[in-house]
Amino acid sequence: MTDARAGLAKQAAKLRAAFDAAYAAPPRRDAAAGQDLLTIRAGSEPYVIRVSDIAGLFVDRKITPVPANDASLLGIAGFRGTIVPVHSLPVLLGLPATHAPRWLVIAAATSVALAFDAFEGHLRVRSDSIVPQQSSARGCGFAPEFMHHAGIVRPVLHLVSVIASLGCHRAQTAIHERNEKHESFQ
Amino acid sequence: MSLFSNWTVGRRLIAGFGLSAFTLLLIALVSYRNANLLIENDALVDLSHQVRLELADVLSVMKDAETGQRGYVISGDESYLEPYKAAVNSLPTTLADLRKLTADTPEQQRRLASIAPIIDAKLEELKNIIDLRRSQGFDAAAKLVVTNAGKTQMDQIRAIVAAADQEARDVLKQRSEEARASADMTENIILWGGLAGTLAVCAIGWLITQSLSQQIGSAVGQVRNSSTELQAAANQQASGAKEQATAMAEISTTISELLATSRQIAESAQRVAQNAEETANAARSGHGTVDQTHESISGIRRQVDQIVSHMLELGKKSQEIGAVLDIVSELAEQTNILAINATIEAAGAGDAGKRFAVVAEEIRNLADRVGGSTKEVRALIDDVRSAVNTTVMATETGSKAVDAGSRQFGDLASAFKQIASLVATTTDAAREIELSTKQQSTAVEQVNVAVANVTQASVETETSAGQTLQTVSQMASLSRDLLRIITPHMAA
Repeated sequence: MTDARAGLAKQAAKLRAAFDAAYAAPPRRDAAAGQDLLTIRAGSEPYVIRVSDIAGLFVDRKITPVPANDASLLGIAGFRGTIVPVHSLPVLLGLPATHAPRWLVIAAATSVALAFDAFEGHLRVRSDSIVPQQSSARGCGFAPEFMHHAGIVRPVLHLVSVIASLGCHRAQTAIHERNEKHESFQ
Repeated sequence: MSLFSNWTVGRRLIAGFGLSAFTLLLIALVSYRNANLLIENDALVDLSHQVRLELADVLSVMKDAETGQRGYVISGDESYLEPYKAAVNSLPTTLADLRKLTADTPEQQRRLASIAPIIDAKLEELKNIIDLRRSQGFDAAAKLVVTNAGKTQMDQIRAIVAAADQEARDVLKQRSEEARASADMTENIILWGGLAGTLAVCAIGWLITQSLSQQIGSAVGQVRNSSTELQAAANQQASGAKEQATAMAEISTTISELLATSRQIAESAQRVAQNAEETANAARSGHGTVDQTHESISGIRRQVDQIVSHMLELGKKSQEIGAVLDIVSELAEQTNILAINATIEAAGAGDAGKRFAVVAEEIRNLADRVGGSTKEVRALIDDVRSAVNTTVMATETGSKAVDAGSRQFGDLASAFKQIASLVATTTDAAREIELSTKQQSTAVEQVNVAVANVTQASVETETSAGQTLQTVSQMASLSRDLLRIITPHMAA
């Protein structure tokens, strides 16, 4: 216990020194050299998304369900005075639907929120750590690149493509429902 | 033969000799009877001869009387009257004898009855002539004599006597024939009866000899076989008695060892009793120690209860720390989100937001570090809680163990009491064992004496078996000899 307490005190002192040093240090010039990434988990699959692709990260926001034909649409939620639709990222990626994903990101390209299961952290990687993928194994080409950093290899989700697939997904759902109705009439 | 097969030897001998004796007795009786008949016939023959003699005597006396009468008449001499007088005196007697001798012959009695008056008349006529001679002389007497009256009477007398003599002679002849027949019969009976009796005795003897030879020979043969079997049995008995004597000697040795062992047991039991008494003292001392230990365990239990209470309190505090840490972690997460959003907003602000982006990054880094520290602290708190839980569980286990130990010590105390009681019982039992073992030693000594007696008896039995064997051998030899005597062919 004494060693643990000493370790905690040392870590607290280290944090304090780092915080102070952050204010004491001059502004870094190479801040734009890297890319900011968020490591997330959609369903059971790990991904990274670019911070530049999102307009905000939120957690435990109330999602109000609305009637819709889109299976990926979880409902609507309010963000900073704006009502945006919330879609399930695992459903959009073709993964099994999970129950009540906590985390939300709002796509920067359009006012659509994507819900996923877990936010694991923030990474700043060098630009050359992100390399294009030779052949896309998942979804409809939502992860054309993958990140390789500190021994971690993860596909990089291209949120624009995901958002763009919403129309395709709605069409497929409509066709599917129409087929089901037709079969039921027969 | 089968009829006599069930007869005893004595009965057979009695029957055989009895039959022989009966045969001889029958022959003797018949011979005796015939001899008697012969004697009787001889007597009758003598009687007939006597009758004839008497008849002749009568006739002679009558002749003498007439002769004397005539001599007197002629001579006048009284001496010539002697025969007359003798006849007069003897005739009645002679006639009386004749009547007696012929009492069984009615015809002779009738003749004697008829001759008596004739004789009386004759004697009267003789008397008259004698009287006449004596009184009147010769001439008167001679004149009367020549009248032939006397001659006629005398002829009648002669005729009657002759008839009687003839009959007597006939009777004599008949009786002589009967006597001869009786003698012949007796002779035949003696001859043939003796021969038949001899044959019967020989036959009976042969039969008895045959039957007795067969049965006694068979019996003696069986006796010989039985003697042989008895000899074998006596041999077995002798060897058995010898083995028994040997076994009894071994038993005697074993019992001696048992006696020594019993004495050792008695000594051991005495030592056990002493040890049990010392154990009882130790058990009483141990009981006091157990009570003190029980008090100590009760104190340990109270301390353990306090430890458990403190550890539970520590666990509760750890949970509160965890709750605070949750808040810190959530704040760090929110700070991180805010920093990320600030970074996004700063990027949206262009160059004006770059410095803000730096600050936001620092804040995010700080939030990351706080989050990491929170995780570490949570890990430590989890470790503390786990240790507390482990300690609580261990302490509860210890408490339960202390409870169990307390109960076990209670059981131990009661067990010590029971041990003390049992040790006391053991002491009594050991004393009883000691006493019983001493009694057992005494009993074993008595058994030893008895076994010695039995051993002696076994030796005597062995000797007796040897004597029996010798006797049986002699008996077998005797049976062989007897069989050789009775049936030589079977003896071979």
